[in-house]
Amino acid sequence: MSRLRVLLPFGLLIAFWWAIKSGFDISDKLLVAPPQVWSSFRVLIGHGILAEYVSTSLSMIGIATLVSFAIGVPLGFAVGTNRYAARALEGFLRYLQGISGIAWLPLAILWFGFTHTTTLAIVIYTLIVPIIFNTMTGVRAIPENYILALQSLGASRLRIVTDVYFPGALPSIVVGTRLGMGYGWRALIASEMLVRQGGLGDLIFGARTFGQIDRIMVGMVIIGTLYIVVDRLLVQPVETMTLARWGVLRK
Amino acid sequence: MIFSRVAWKLLPAAPAFVILTAWFVYWLVVRPPPSVIPSIADVVRTGAELAFGGRLLGDFIASMGRLLGGVAFGIATGMIMGFVAGVCRPVATFLNPLVVFFNAISGIVWLPLVIGWLGVGNALATFLIWNTVFFIIFQNTVLGIQLVPEVLEQGVRALGGGRWETIRTVTLPGALPYILSGVRSGLGFGWRALIAAELVGATTGLGQLIFSGSEYHRADIIIFGALLIGAIAMLMDRWLLAPIERRTVVRWGLVAASRGR
Amino acid sequence: MSSDKIVVSGFRHFFQSDSGPVQATGEIDVTIREGEVVTLVGPSGCGKTTLLKAIAGFIMPTEGQILCDGKPVRGPGRERGVVFQELAILPWRTVRRNIAHGLEIARVGKAEREQTVERLIGLMGLVGFEDRYPHELSGGMRQRVAVARTWAADPDVILMDEPFAAVDAMTRLTLQEELGRLCATTHKTVFFITHSVEEAVFLGDRVLVMTKRPGTIKATLDVPRHGKGGRDWDSFTGDPEMRAISEQVMHLVHAERV
Ligand SMILES: Nc1ncnc2c1ncn2[C@@H]1O[C@H](COP(=O)(O)OP(=O)(O)OP(=O)(O)O)[C@@H](O)[C@H]1O
Ligand SMILES: [Mg+2]
Repeated sequence: MSRLRVLLPFGLLIAFWWAIKSGFDISDKLLVAPPQVWSSFRVLIGHGILAEYVSTSLSMIGIATLVSFAIGVPLGFAVGTNRYAARALEGFLRYLQGISGIAWLPLAILWFGFTHTTTLAIVIYTLIVPIIFNTMTGVRAIPENYILALQSLGASRLRIVTDVYFPGALPSIVVGTRLGMGYGWRALIASEMLVRQGGLGDLIFGARTFGQIDRIMVGMVIIGTLYIVVDRLLVQPVETMTLARWGVLRK
Repeated sequence: MIFSRVAWKLLPAAPAFVILTAWFVYWLVVRPPPSVIPSIADVVRTGAELAFGGRLLGDFIASMGRLLGGVAFGIATGMIMGFVAGVCRPVATFLNPLVVFFNAISGIVWLPLVIGWLGVGNALATFLIWNTVFFIIFQNTVLGIQLVPEVLEQGVRALGGGRWETIRTVTLPGALPYILSGVRSGLGFGWRALIAAELVGATTGLGQLIFSGSEYHRADIIIFGALLIGAIAMLMDRWLLAPIERRTVVRWGLVAASRGR
Repeated sequence: MSSDKIVVSGFRHFFQSDSGPVQATGEIDVTIREGEVVTLVGPSGCGKTTLLKAIAGFIMPTEGQILCDGKPVRGPGRERGVVFQELAILPWRTVRRNIAHGLEIARVGKAEREQTVERLIGLMGLVGFEDRYPHELSGGMRQRVAVARTWAADPDVILMDEPFAAVDAMTRLTLQEELGRLCATTHKTVFFITHSVEEAVFLGDRVLVMTKRPGTIKATLDVPRHGKGGRDWDSFTGDPEMRAISEQVMHLVHAERV
């Protein structure tokens, strides 16, 4: 039943696409029919090409997430627990949020060339701001009474960090990481399109230069599917778990 | 006391101050090639030249036109579709998987395909912005409508109001705060999508300005352009979007008040 | 013959705000003897919480001095436990782990910790809810957990700031009796803030009444505790002496209406 609910809309969409393609006799340079996409997919899979592109993109987003998390969370804590740091950095971070990572891409290319370093720099820049922001907001949303109560139980500063700040901010950190991964994934694709050193962005943009619409469409489907799989199967369960258990924290 | 209050006021400028100082000192000591790291003076001079040479205004207008077109189109279509899906559950159920999927590839991912359909230029950039904004507005509209408390609708029904009466007086105003907050984030995302789109998919605009900087190895143009993009985003948020959000809060008050009566 | 536990002398407090200092309390002198339950009533905004926070060590008094066991209070400490009005037990810890928290911090051994926690769970009527999270509990139960956590840490002095204000009237009666029993059996020094005159008289060995803002101590009334304490509502409501004291306090409080 629920499988039908998912398959039916896509089935109709594919039928519609096919009908347009053959009904209006659209050129293969603009749109290809579903079977062509399927066979292109099989070719890419068969030669291990797709696996190569996918693993490049996935390892980039993985590394960027780890780095951003390792730097962003402690920084968010520092900013969230110190009102001077918060006042100093909040406006600056907001300003940075207005400059998308892609806007820095030309500069990164000048600095690091057409390399993975360039892409990583852009993706980390994109990912880290929401992580810092959400860690900071999470820390600051913790009711002061939690901290006072622990102090009067004789808790040290470290103890308050491990027992109050960290668990209190965790749901917010997870939300920030999830958001960041979403933005980062898009920035990754865009960066790969211009840097052209492998990855799914390279796949679809390279296919463009050869007019291989079938490959572009395979790439698009893969990009969407991977995002959904990582987001729904990996990140969202963690979010639901933390939010459900401690959801009360946010009223 | 006075001193600490002044320091508190100045604190938000601290990061800019630190970065500018570090940049200045680095430049004095290391003397890097200007094509990689320009001096502060270079960036300022370039900015002035671009601004007074007229190029900047043209790029700004081109970008803004695309942004407004794409966002307006995204809001209109997103609201209409969202409204239909919000009021009529089967439509929402049908669309949901498609929305999840196309949301995952919204924006820049379409560029290689659509560039073949629309060519390089305004239409392409507008399409990419529309594609980004649409899903945000759509989802917020559906959510807003579904979250309108049922009792409110029942209240109007009980007074003899018909379906359209209910939608007009309860559902639409009730969902408005969500829609407005969707507009706020939609504009922010649209702006980002625009810059990305213009890097490849246009011959004018602020994104293209930055990109041309990298082609001519002019880091000063890139840095000036990026800082300007951030400044525009900030000003838009302060003058256009924050007022919208304030209105949203007021609307919430209205909703709560009408519930109390 | 008991000694002075907490001595507040010449206390006055001002908060800094954007429009200059705000006076939160008038001059206050209070002495709380060891093993005594002192309750404090006063109109809203008169500075009750400010006084309690100063004794707890969360804020430094602008003027005057606060001594605990003869030593000046310099910050929060384990010997002074605090129960807040609300929002102070951690939502990510179960009932059991919340109650054990103070003991964990004090590095008390596991066996002893479990024994103490078990005892308090029994005393506070939380049996069967040990492994629930706070959001799965009613407001009254959450407050019991907060009280139990403070008691488990075994401080010398317990400071309570309107702990039952957010609890419904029925539950409040039970909680007050439970707290009364706890006070009587453990002989703790307790400082208890409340809005309710009845609650103040019911629980206190001594009731302090504050004037309106900026508050000073307006009157002190002794409440004779016959027998072992006798803090149960049946005997309280039937006792003419108690009623007389309540009326007296009520008059004093009414004069301070804002
Ligand atoms: N952090 C603060 N900054 C500025 N003024 C404060 C602060 N905390 C309290 N005040 C002011 O100090 C006065 C005393 O506050 P306090 O919280 O001690 O009152 P209270 O007696 O506990 O009132 P209530 O019964 O309503 O809890 C109030 O007028 C309050 O506005
Ligand atoms: Mg108070």
